[in-house]
This record gives sequence, structure tokens and C-alpha cells, in this order.
Amino acid sequence: MPTLVEAVNLQKTYMLGKVPVEALRGVNLKVEAGDFVSILGPSGSGKSTMLNLIGALDKPTSGTLLIDGVDISKLNDNQLADLRRRIGFVFQFFNLIPRLTAQDNVELSMAIADMNKAERRKRAIELLETVGLKDRVNHKPAELSGGQQQRVAIARALANNPKFLLLDEPTGNIDSKTASEVLGLIKKLNVENNVSIIMVTHDQHLAREAKRTAQMFDGQITSEVVNQE
Amino acid sequence: MKTIDIFGYSFSAIKLRKLRAALTILGVVIGIAAIVALLSITQGLQATITTQLQKGLSTNTLIVTPGQSVLGQATSGSGSGVGGSGAGGRGFNLGGSSSSSGFNLYVNYTQKIDALSPEIEGSFAVIQQSGYVNAGGVNSSVTIYGVDFAQYAQQYSKTFVAASGTIPLSPTDNETVVGTLVNDPGQNGTLLFGAGDDIGIVWTNGTTLPVVNETYTAQVSAVLQKIGGFGVGGPSDTGVYIPLSQAESFFGTDQCSMIIVQLKSSNNATVTNVSKAITNYFGNQVTVISATAVLSLLSTVFGTIQLFLGGIAAISLLVAGIAIMNIMIVSLIERTREIGILKALGMKSRTVLTIFLGESVIIGLIGAFVGIALGWVLANVVAEVLASGAFGGTGFRVTPLLTPEVFLGALGFGIGVSVIFALYPAWRASKLKPVEALRYE
Repeated sequence: MPTLVEAVNLQKTYMLGKVPVEALRGVNLKVEAGDFVSILGPSGSGKSTMLNLIGALDKPTSGTLLIDGVDISKLNDNQLADLRRRIGFVFQFFNLIPRLTAQDNVELSMAIADMNKAERRKRAIELLETVGLKDRVNHKPAELSGGQQQRVAIARALANNPKFLLLDEPTGNIDSKTASEVLGLIKKLNVENNVSIIMVTHDQHLAREAKRTAQMFDGQITSEVVNQE
Repeated sequence: MKTIDIFGYSFSAIKLRKLRAALTILGVVIGIAAIVALLSITQGLQATITTQLQKGLSTNTLIVTPGQSVLGQATSGSGSGVGGSGAGGRGFNLGGSSSSSGFNLYVNYTQKIDALSPEIEGSFAVIQQSGYVNAGGVNSSVTIYGVDFAQYAQQYSKTFVAASGTIPLSPTDNETVVGTLVNDPGQNGTLLFGAGDDIGIVWTNGTTLPVVNETYTAQVSAVLQKIGGFGVGGPSDTGVYIPLSQAESFFGTDQCSMIIVQLKSSNNATVTNVSKAITNYFGNQVTVISATAVLSLLSTVFGTIQLFLGGIAAISLLVAGIAIMNIMIVSLIERTREIGILKALGMKSRTVLTIFLGESVIIGLIGAFVGIALGWVLANVVAEVLASGAFGGTGFRVTPLLTPEVFLGALGFGIGVSVIFALYPAWRASKLKPVEALRYE
């Protein structure tokens, strides 16, 4: 199994005004292809910082983080942007572009990756079909429920055939019934389509749905558990 | 990201806030319309005046008038030459039978001028005096010209043309030719007299004390076609033309207002050399006007006017530019999170920059095109109002002229200003850090 993410003694220090804040204090983590890992931790544990680094949105202060075999601290802004096209980001607040339809939102990530119009149109519709929104392609985010919006976001994240999906509290903003549907979709993608998944959450029940859970506390991974089916 | 996708995305952002975009575009429209309207009117005016001048002043003709030019520098006295580069600093002095310096031109000076250069075809004198005609009990103000009818008709073959009657080439003393405004002052077909009628010609002789109104009765041989505008030295719609010999005896002098010199060629060297020779011969006491010099003076004057008016209009475009910058900064702040999303999806900084600049290009492009159209309409409305004589208009028709230079310049300027003022907001947008932008509420 190729390694998708490998963190070795990862450290990140922020300056909060003039006060340095050590958000990550030596994190070690390895995620392999086909895996479904949840990173669980209370707020302030450093899980959001971890999410930003794995999502190539930020660089570590020290230590190494290999994403798809590339050390991200050696990349410039353009190279980081290129790398992000291979990561499927799904946010807690969906983060769809409000003025674009579901289809255009899914197409956007492919347009950014230079895919041509006809090809991305076809793929966007296929993806929306996969997430069960075949009849919602021309709806704007405001015309969709929270669960539907999150499914559009998942379709968008899958559009460029990413190395892995990176989920940030994917069910944090939707009701429990819809949440279980979205979770079902995520698990199905992992099992049936072999999509690798890294999920960041503070919700213990949600975290246990993953194959493995890394517990974070105070900027470190304190334990790793293999969850029972 | 492909260019077409970038523009599509920019356009979707503009479409979202239609009113805001419309108001921003309006700023550009007003600036561009002002520039286009002002420039197309002044360029039209310049073209109209130039055409009129060329009608009255052919390029192989020099006009010699007494006295130095307004700025005390005889036309060809300057080293740069008449047809040469620019006419800055040259003025001209038309009409006026005597100069302040006391130097006068006389009718028989034509012989002296003819002898100056083999390039001279011939020359003839024009005596000019303001006066009245009396016809049907109505007095109207006119300019009386004493000219050799045959030479004058040859020189001004396009304008000294009879509409009714015949211009006599060897007239008797009491024959006269009049401009169309003399017999039809209202331009409404109500004729005061016609060809063949007698009119009284009057001038006020101020050289005697008390002043005397000198008068004689002349027979109208011909009424000229409408000339329009203003001729420099050439025939005029308010002119009354009498034979040169009659003018000499009527005005009691052989002093003339100008001598018109015909050249064998219209090339610049000939014009310059002959002008210089005449000026030198008269000891710099005359002004020699050539069509080239007048036209180049005109183009300098109009160039200055256009620069001035265009500059004023450009200020309003500058204001529009500042509005664009303001709006884009507001838009950038509102869209911070969107920029974060785009970057998280893998968009490069320079693509974000291009999206924002793309929005300004679209605003500039629409603004410039609408502005040019509006400016053109405005120029035509103003020209129409001027021609109608309403609101203190002159009744003088100017056809606005939209040159390709003005069109392309306005287009480029509109887009340029939009893009320049969008540079800073676009740059700031592109520099947003994705982590911080995504956190922005």
C-alpha cells in the first residue's frame, strides 16, 4: 500500500499577537491508500492545524509532512496549489460558491484543474448522480438542504480524482438523520470505490465510524485505535 | 484555469451584483462620454474650419497684409519656415487697411512683388472697407471689396461663382457683385433686390472732419452662391465686390488691405522661399500668410484646446477609477471566504489576480463602448442645438468627427483606467492566505 500522508515529528507554532502558541508539538502519523482515518480531539487540541497542513493550506514550522510522497515545506505557493488539486477537501460549512449551481460548483474544481468544458460537464453530472443529487444539478446552494449541500461538496471534492478526501466535521452542520446518510455515502465511497479518507472531528461517535482513530490532545497524538466493525 | 473560464467566472461575479456593477460602469461611461463628446466636437469644428479655409485659401496662394503679425513676428521671418514644423508663436493679421506701424501696402506694389521671384505666377490687390448697402429702403452692413473681377474669379473659381446674373470679367465702374447674405439677409428667400437692380453703396469717410457718408449707385450684375463659414481673404457671403479702379476713386486711396500672390507651385520650398523674399523685400513690415502656415497654426490651436478639454474629461474618468478601486476593495472583503475556497480547490494566486482584473476589464470594456456611443450621441445633440441657433447657438453647423484615434484611445483609456485602479485590490486578493481566508466570516 503506498503511503499518502506521513507526518514525522510535525510541529507548528503560531504567533498570537506577540505570544507564540504551539499548536502541534511533534505529531507522527501515517495514512496509507484505501485507509479511513479519523483524527479526534477537543477544540484547541491542534486538529484544525493538522487539517490545514494535510490539506496543503499551510506549512509546518518544523518536522516533515509528506503528502503523496512530497515534502510540503519545500513547495512554493504555486506548487502547493497544484498539490491541493489532488486533495478532496470537504468543509464543515460546505463552502460552496453561492451564485453557482450544484453542477457549476462541481465543475469549478475541474475548471481550476484546466479540464475542458465538455469533459467536466459530463463528469459533474455523473458525480452528482453518485452522491444522489441527479435531480438537483441546476439548484443553487440556497435551494438545497444542508445534507444536499454537503453531498455537492463531496461531489466537488471527488471531481479531480483526488488521492484522498479530507473531511472537516462533515456532519457538524446537518441534522442527525441527514448526517447518517452523508456518513453512509462516505463509507460507501471508501469501501466500494476505494477512496482514501481522512476525517477530522471532535465527535467520538462519528470518529468511531472510521477504520482507525487517532486521538489528539494538546498538540500531540496521544493514542491510535483500530475501530471494530 | 483557461482564460475563457476565468472570464466566465469574473462575469458571474459581476452579474451577481447588478446594481453595483451598473453604477461602477456608469462612472466609466460618463468619463468616456465626456471625452468622446468634447473631442469629436472640437475635431469636427477643426475639420469644418479647415475645409472652409481650404476653400478660401489654396495652397499655391500667399496673402500679403501690411504690418507684422500679432506677436510681432512676420510669418516667414521665423527660421523654421512656413510649411515647416508647427506654427507656434505665429499669429496673423487679416484685413485692416493700415497697420499700426504706419506701413501701408499700395495697389501698384503688385508689380514689385511679381518681380521678386520667377516662382510667382502673378499677384493682385484687394481694397477692403466696411460700409453699407441701401436697397429698398433697408441699410445693411457689408464689407466692400475692390478687386479685379477677372483675377478674383480665376483665383476663387469655386466660391466667386454667380448664383444669378453673370460676373462681368471687364466691368464698368458702376457694376457690382454681391454675396448672398446681402440680398437675402434672413436666408429665407425674401430678397431685398435681384441681379439687374440698382443699390446704393455707402461708406463712412472718417478721414475728413466732419465725417462724410460717401455714396454711389451701382447696378448688381450677379449674386454669388452661398459660400458659408468664413473665407480668409476669399469671397464672403456679406461681401460687396466692386471693380478695383472704382474702389480707388470711391475710397480716395490706392492703399490696399492685402495683395494676393499666386505661385507656380504649391510645394513647401516655393511657399517658404517666396514668403521670405516678400517679407525681406518689405523689411519685415508685412505678414505673409500661406494656407500651410494657417492650417498648421490652426492645428496647434486645436491641439491645445483638445488637450485642455480632454484633460478635464479625463479627470472625471479618474474619479470613476477611484470608484472602481473602492468597489473592488469592498468586493474583495466580502469575497474573502470565496477566495479561500478557490485557493483550497487549488487555484493559483495569479489566477485569483486575473479573475479580479478580468472583472475590471469587463467593467472598462462595457463602460468604454457605452461611453463612446453616448458621447457620440451627445456630440450630435450639441451640434444640432448649435446649428439650430437655440440657447444662444451660433447657427453654425459643426459635424462631429469621431476619428479612429479617438475611438481607440477612448476604448484603451477606459479599460486602462479600470485595470490600473483594480491592480491593488486584485493584488491583495491574490495574496490572501487560504487558511485565514477560509476562517473569515
